[in-house]
Amino acid sequence: MKEHRTAFDLIWWVVLAAWSLSILFPVVWVIYESLKTNQEFFQNVWTLPETLNWGNYLSAWERFKLGTTLLNTLYYVGASLVIGTFLTSLNAYALTRMNFRGRKLIWSLIMLSLFLPGINALIPQYILMRDLHLTNSLTGLIILDVLGENVFFLMLLGGFMQSLPMELEESAKIDGASLFKIFSRIIMPLAMPGVITVAIFKFLGLYNTFLQPFIYLSDSSKYTIGVNIYQANMRMQYTNDWVTLFSGVVITMIPSLIVFIICQRWIVEGATMGSVKG
Amino acid sequence: MTKNSSTLTSARPKLSQQLQKASFQKTVFLLIAIVPTFGGYLLFGLYPNLMSVYYSLLKWNGITKPKFIGLQNYVNMFQDKYVWRALLHNLFFMATVPFFILAISVLLAYLLTNKGYKGTSLLKVLFFFPNVLSTVVVSLLWAFIYDGSFGLLNALLKLIGIDMQGYYWLGDARTALTALVPPSVWAGVGLYVVIFVNAMTTIPKSLYESAILEGAGNMTRLFRITLPLMTPIIRVSAIFLVLGTLKTLDMVLILTRGGPAGSTDVIGLYMFNMAFGEQVRSYGYASAIGMFLFVILVGAKLAVDKLLPNREYEY
Repeated sequence: MKEHRTAFDLIWWVVLAAWSLSILFPVVWVIYESLKTNQEFFQNVWTLPETLNWGNYLSAWERFKLGTTLLNTLYYVGASLVIGTFLTSLNAYALTRMNFRGRKLIWSLIMLSLFLPGINALIPQYILMRDLHLTNSLTGLIILDVLGENVFFLMLLGGFMQSLPMELEESAKIDGASLFKIFSRIIMPLAMPGVITVAIFKFLGLYNTFLQPFIYLSDSSKYTIGVNIYQANMRMQYTNDWVTLFSGVVITMIPSLIVFIICQRWIVEGATMGSVKG
Repeated sequence: MTKNSSTLTSARPKLSQQLQKASFQKTVFLLIAIVPTFGGYLLFGLYPNLMSVYYSLLKWNGITKPKFIGLQNYVNMFQDKYVWRALLHNLFFMATVPFFILAISVLLAYLLTNKGYKGTSLLKVLFFFPNVLSTVVVSLLWAFIYDGSFGLLNALLKLIGIDMQGYYWLGDARTALTALVPPSVWAGVGLYVVIFVNAMTTIPKSLYESAILEGAGNMTRLFRITLPLMTPIIRVSAIFLVLGTLKTLDMVLILTRGGPAGSTDVIGLYMFNMAFGEQVRSYGYASAIGMFLFVILVGAKLAVDKLLPNREYEY
């Protein structure tokens, strides 16, 4: 837009810069505090570490048993992601592109969940999981997630698949392709952009889930990374080894950071797709 | 002609066979595609929601035999002053968090879309970054910022000459509740910036150009063109944020656990503590609070619907 810059623009520019700083600064601060010694840590917030104590990361890795925790997280996130995305794709295909009796009823029952806040179902869900012997189990969490409410992703993928031309299936059927083949060879490749968006958001959602793992996992050997770092923070009240905790928090941030940097375009665009949900 | 009809007759049994095979295939496919997900949804989604109504009528600690006590939980709840205190805190968050998130993200989105500064697409991505961080990370980050002995906030205040002398922002009932607002705003703005930027870029540039020609300033353009055209999307965002604010409990759980002395307790956390807390295990009572929350959520949605009428502008 052609417009002359005024003094106001300086103010607006400062507003943008200030918000950027409010995001960057705390993150950078946590990183450089994590490289100090505990002595330096308590002396002054502003001074940079004299030597970079990468050893803090090693002790965080050992003290918080991050190896086990990350394996747990990988299992929980990975399995839920793969199985969940596959099932949601199948489901979206069947519900948007196939005709069968009861389809409308199933859709409207699924849509009903948009009106349910979910938080009041926390307790019955817990009892159900307990009765099914799925508590204190990562597999239980995977089952809950994969078979739980996926309405948002279902709508996103369903919308995507609906936009593909209907002639695709018809011509494939004439050529004698089975439904399974149509789904795997034609629909899935064409719906890939939608599937990838769903997968990225599933990853971020699962990796960041706190409440369910916190409620359902009781053995510390089964903790996911979020629960683990929360418990580490609780213990910190007695040990005062803050630089190690800071390192732990930075390690927790790294997977989200990597996925964000690699997939930022998908994420930022996909976020608006999600906003249709309302 | 005869040749043709003969091939048709010979093909007929094959065709019906094929059709049979196809319908069998369809049934198998549908079973795989629908049953696990829809069955799971009925079991883990709808069933617990229905059961929460029933549970709210029980006196039950989850272990001994449940006792049906009718509406007693609800009677107790309405006399429980902690429920009302928690609800009041929810109202405080509902009045502040969505307002700040919407105001800041509309402003930032407007600056990113309409001012033509350099690097705005990079800034849009940067602003989104807190949204990909987990609640635990965001909460701990802010717990560090608010800390009395090594916190960033006290250090910043010291730079401008205010010495808080190791004041613990989350440890004092006077400031703890207010201190919970910035983390939620910080973590929430990015998503709405992206949503609003995308909505604003669909507004025709010609509208702004003619406004500039007529000498309309920044503020006039923002309030006369951008905001009216954005009303529908802001409205949806407001509903989403208000309902989300009502439901949150994890950030409060991590940052203060409702303390000090219950000064930051919210209804979701109170319910959570009634069900899963260390001292109490009262599934019936917690379910009643859950039902109450459900009613408030529906009420809040209707209220926002009424307060922000759904007007569509044409351009």
